[in-house]
Amino acid sequence: MRLSELFGCEVLDSDGRWVGEVHDARMVRDGPEQGAFGPAYRMQGLIVGGGSWGSRLGYDRGEVKGPWPLKKLFQWLHGHAKFVDWAVVAGLQKGVIRVSVPADQLPSVPTLRQ
Amino acid sequence: MPGGNVNESARRVIDAGLHLLDRQIVDKDGRLAGKVDDLELTFPHGSMSDPPFVSAILSGPGALAPQIGGRLGKWIAAAESRLSDQPGPARISFGVVKRIENDIQLIVSRDDLDVTRLEDWVRDTIISKIPGARHAPQ
Repeated sequence: MRLSELFGCEVLDSDGRWVGEVHDARMVRDGPEQGAFGPAYRMQGLIVGGGSWGSRLGYDRGEVKGPWPLKKLFQWLHGHAKFVDWAVVAGLQKGVIRVSVPADQLPSVPTLRQ
Repeated sequence: MPGGNVNESARRVIDAGLHLLDRQIVDKDGRLAGKVDDLELTFPHGSMSDPPFVSAILSGPGALAPQIGGRLGKWIAAAESRLSDQPGPARISFGVVKRIENDIQLIVSRDDLDVTRLEDWVRDTIISKIPGARHAPQ
């Protein structure tokens, strides 16, 4: 599978309600050993929200530096983004990802930490 | 900075699109070896029940083709595949990645990779046939 196949996928909750589209994939470095690199990046979950405009610049995530008006604008635009832990992904088919919990049980996107 | 700042090779948590896509790839000799156009994800036991991990970097027009989509995307993917014995886009195993900073540094030479197939084809098939192409620059 390619990462780009996940981007833009629609995400539906356990009741079939629309949650948003996949904007990014959060990875944690605790996967299988990979030669010179060491532990691989393993999928932790998906960042899901409404419009993706500006999301690829990263201004909606806390650690990215930039002009504060832009940061505030994008944080407001993406303030309702949800984090879909891979453990609740129930299926992926034809651009649609189904999760096993209701949308209101999905947490906000955790701040990026080391 | 837009696009995030990855300074630590051992950075533990990243957002793949923000921190890896579009990064420049640099080989062991400091030569440019393409860009990260997509990532290959592998399911460890072949099923979706366990989370996938990033197993390779995909680079070049063939990697971008699905994102372009439509007939043009299919044509680009097919054309690039014909330039190599390997099916699909140029693939760089994550096992040869040494460090991730503002670029992605490899432990191998770009000559050992399949990332320059289009460049090689243009040089061998088109440029080399232009009269005077074999003359050293004056």
